[in-house]
Amino acid sequence: MIEVKNLRKSYAGCQAVRDISFRVAKGEIVGLLGPNGAGKSTTMRILTGYLPATAGTVRVAGRDLLNESLAVRRRVGYMPENVPLYPDMRVAEFLAYRAALKGVPRRRVKARVGEVMARCGVAEVARHIIGALSRGYRQRVGLADALVHEPELLILDEPTAGLDPNQIRAVRELIRQLGRRHTILLSTHILSEVEMVCRRAIIINRGKIEASDTLENLAKRVKSGALFIEVRAADGEALARELRELPGVSTVRVSGGRDGWVALECAARPGGEVREQVDQFIKQRNLPLREFRCGKASLEDVFIELIQE
Amino acid sequence: MTRAFWVLLKRELGAIFLSPVSHVIFALFNLVMGFSFWFCAAYMAQGARNVTVMQIFFIIFYFWFCLIIMIPIFTMRLFAEEYRSGTIELLMSAPVLEWDVILSKFFASVALYAGLWLPTLVYLWVYQALTRHQVPVEWGALGASYLLVLVIGLFYVAIGLFTSSLTKNQVLAAFASFVIIALLFFTGFLGFTAAGTGEGTARLIDYLATLKHMQTFAGGVFDTRPLVFYLSGTGLFLFLTYVVISLRKLRY
Repeated sequence: MIEVKNLRKSYAGCQAVRDISFRVAKGEIVGLLGPNGAGKSTTMRILTGYLPATAGTVRVAGRDLLNESLAVRRRVGYMPENVPLYPDMRVAEFLAYRAALKGVPRRRVKARVGEVMARCGVAEVARHIIGALSRGYRQRVGLADALVHEPELLILDEPTAGLDPNQIRAVRELIRQLGRRHTILLSTHILSEVEMVCRRAIIINRGKIEASDTLENLAKRVKSGALFIEVRAADGEALARELRELPGVSTVRVSGGRDGWVALECAARPGGEVREQVDQFIKQRNLPLREFRCGKASLEDVFIELIQE
Repeated sequence: MTRAFWVLLKRELGAIFLSPVSHVIFALFNLVMGFSFWFCAAYMAQGARNVTVMQIFFIIFYFWFCLIIMIPIFTMRLFAEEYRSGTIELLMSAPVLEWDVILSKFFASVALYAGLWLPTLVYLWVYQALTRHQVPVEWGALGASYLLVLVIGLFYVAIGLFTSSLTKNQVLAAFASFVIIALLFFTGFLGFTAAGTGEGTARLIDYLATLKHMQTFAGGVFDTRPLVFYLSGTGLFLFLTYVVISLRKLRY
């Protein structure tokens, strides 16, 4: 659905996007993840035809963005960051205007507007003036606008920014539902959002792609989650030294201890598995054990590791 | 004209005519124009004159003061507001051409401008009724005057549209177009100081003098030179707007 090759974008004196390439297949929900200022919005603005690229080629829905800009724009639904809307218009009026502007046939406009309003839960404010709507409703009106011309691809720039927890949950649920029919590319700097909504993430930092993979594979790329154990032992440090000798273990840290109990945190080498060995180690020494817990490698760890490099 | 143009035009007209701001402008403008017309009529009532009431109406101070002040005020928001609120991104990521956007904004503003002048025809009707149609109306000269008012409006609206495309600050947009319009307008007054500067300069100034054009047309003389001047100026500023819109994409 999206094919980006060697995309570059520089503004006066600054390179916002440096040579990125990626693909998004039809039907995927992909998260574009990165800290603020990483180039997410710039990339999305280029994909929607709002900004021209400095170099590189972009194909959306099989069409070249440069030569068939109008055809591409007809197939893309875009919700910009902060959801700019015309505050003086009424919701239904605004959506009808946007539908007509994006080429929905005249006799279909009314039906389409009704459909997207029901879908996005804004039917009850159809007659309200947009300027008087709450942030949550504005966000949903923005989504309805992006959907109104039945685009194949949805590009959503930080769709949950500035919402309260309930609204965030509602919008995420809505995006997940939309994912059944549309290809979605969304940007965010909230990691849990990607974990909840997307199947694949593209991590971008300082205008470059740091990683692009499914969530499971991304989690595998860093050291698997640390293993926490708590055993009764006289000397924690001595135990830690012994544990470090085990094959596959990279670091061991004494993370606490009280009343004769010692808490240890063992980390495995990337892709490694040490639980069995540690278990045998404890059994051989007959150490009383009261905690054996495996920390899950979260996307957060992947993210921080990649960004800090 | 593409469908997008008509959709955009409808939206722009809605933004203008459904907004209370335009109605206030409309009312205040006609307050000044009404006073101006009363003033002209009172002047005529003092005794026999060799000009008609409409001839004075189109060159009096109130008339041109409004002409150069009004247009910057109602064109300032055209692009500046869209840049400020970010809606330009909605607009430009929709399948529309730059020209659709520019021309829809242009013609909607021209419609507002023409709408402002319509009630002045009512003044003339009232005047005729009150004087029991004893004063003859030169319809040709009147038509020519309104045509020139419209053509000058096209030019000034294009200037306003251009300055609005340059900035997201509406005040700056209004002031910049006011300066351009005022400079063009007041060039005509240089005629008073250009007595000794030779034939060429005097003719150039004559060519640019809006007030003199008004006088000519109100007097019933149809001159194509001013029309060419204003229409080509309109074209130039619309093109410059297009250039600015295209270039802004490279920066933001």
